[in-house]
Amino acid sequence: MTVDRPTGSSPTPPDFVLQAPSGAYLSLNPVTKLLVAAAEVEAAFLIGTWTGPVLVLLLVLASAAIAGVVSRLAVIVAVTVPIVASILLINGFLYPGAVDVIVRLGPLAPSVSGFAFGLQITLRLLAASLALALAYLTTRTDDLLSDLERRGFGRRATYVIGSAVETVPRTVDRAAEIVDAQRSRGMDTEGRWWRRVRGIVPLAAPVVFGALTEVEERTMALEARAFSTPGPRTILRVLPDAPWQRLVRYGLLLGLIAVIVGRITGPLGALP
Amino acid sequence: MIQEVCPVEWLSRQFSTRVIVLMPIAIAINIVLGATVQQALKLPIYLDSIGTILVGVVAGPVAGMLTGVLSNLIWGYLLPAPIGTTTIGPFAITAGVIGLLAGLWGRLGLFRSRRGERSSIPGAVVAIILVGALAIYTYARAYASPTDFQNITGFDPTAIDQSRIFFLVILVIFVALIAVALFLRRDVGAVYAIGAGLVTGIAAAIVSAPIAAVVFGGVTGSGTDLLVAAFRAGGDSLVSATLKQGLLSDPMDKMITSFVVFFIIGNLSQRFIARFPNGERLVSSSM
Repeated sequence: MTVDRPTGSSPTPPDFVLQAPSGAYLSLNPVTKLLVAAAEVEAAFLIGTWTGPVLVLLLVLASAAIAGVVSRLAVIVAVTVPIVASILLINGFLYPGAVDVIVRLGPLAPSVSGFAFGLQITLRLLAASLALALAYLTTRTDDLLSDLERRGFGRRATYVIGSAVETVPRTVDRAAEIVDAQRSRGMDTEGRWWRRVRGIVPLAAPVVFGALTEVEERTMALEARAFSTPGPRTILRVLPDAPWQRLVRYGLLLGLIAVIVGRITGPLGALP
Repeated sequence: MIQEVCPVEWLSRQFSTRVIVLMPIAIAINIVLGATVQQALKLPIYLDSIGTILVGVVAGPVAGMLTGVLSNLIWGYLLPAPIGTTTIGPFAITAGVIGLLAGLWGRLGLFRSRRGERSSIPGAVVAIILVGALAIYTYARAYASPTDFQNITGFDPTAIDQSRIFFLVILVIFVALIAVALFLRRDVGAVYAIGAGLVTGIAAAIVSAPIAAVVFGGVTGSGTDLLVAAFRAGGDSLVSATLKQGLLSDPMDKMITSFVVFFIIGNLSQRFIARFPNGERLVSSSM
């Protein structure tokens, strides 16, 4: 039995299957978005000291505007504020060997070169995180995984990644349930710290052991659904792809390799 | 359409369904515990490799390596912002090394319960003293100059107090658990597991120092920044400060993690453990 379904010409999927997203950036194939993000991250870290990060930031903001997710991207920027502040302050005040110290305060020596270095690292980090955040905000994990599976990524690998992404919020929920259960038995979770500390083991142990005992049941459930049976599977929902996107992907892959080689052999300068 | 086999599929075909099911659960344990310890409590350790070491020990080096690498990649790049942080992603290399080593220790049977083998009680005493000394030194170094640190990083003082208290409590619990394992249960296996953790920690520190220095300028937004700031204030260069931080945090962290994994394996049913590829090397023969 061979199921051979070329991309794009599939019959209309049933109503309960989510429709593929539309829009100039949103409708790109998930793998294309992922490779674009990877290329942007690499560019932010490997091209120049200022040009790479600044160009990537501009590119990401432009794509976010097209996709209409600028406000959700702003939330991510807000989350990075504490680490950005740490980077700027630690490097600004404690940059060893700085000659352009502004003013000396005991062990603290704020310097221009320190702040410049901190700003540069901040820009890099911001460019890289926003590039990935954009790909994340515009792609459903399920879409990416099912598209990867269609490309021969393998359902075992797809299961591991997809299940891990789902299990994290479930584990957080389960921990909250266990907190409630233990509180109803009289555990103090809001008192002084030494009272709360006594709760660490009764909280962590059920989370870990509960998750591990699930292994047995899940193994049987998967086996009952022919998980390890060889042979191709029918894909219910084929995501859009286009020949030009394929070209872009190969171009990006070559570019990724070329920049790394250029950086190592010299034309783009040695690593910092 | 010819289905070409990509390397990920080739690798994952090596594992039984049981191992495939264990991996995402281990990844979730890594991420949830790690996020709590590093981001919420701001301790100068990580506790984000319990799942990695568990998988490595029960299912072998390749499974452990994959669990470690995937944990960091998923944590860094697939989860949304409150838990996911891109600072974790590049340390996937370190996590892979940790899983690989754990697999090796599992193959060597270092995590087997050894109840009633009294021959190595002196070794146990030496281990307790070493662990205690390292714990005290790490604690002293991490919180040596809290006022400077507050001025520099702008973490609020209560966060540091909380971090200090939680870290102290974790160290005390750790030493107490080892004492229980060694003297109440007479299980010398714990010493082997902790020794394995020490070696893993040193390897992890050496691998992660250049990553922390080059990618983040030594600042990752977690509790280990305390140590980096302390060393840089002492005049160390970026790479040497991150390496020293790693050499303090990592061995401590991996010894605690290895001990926790040893404890978990000892408390799961033997039937469950024995079904994994390394199972026979983990179940004590004397029982």
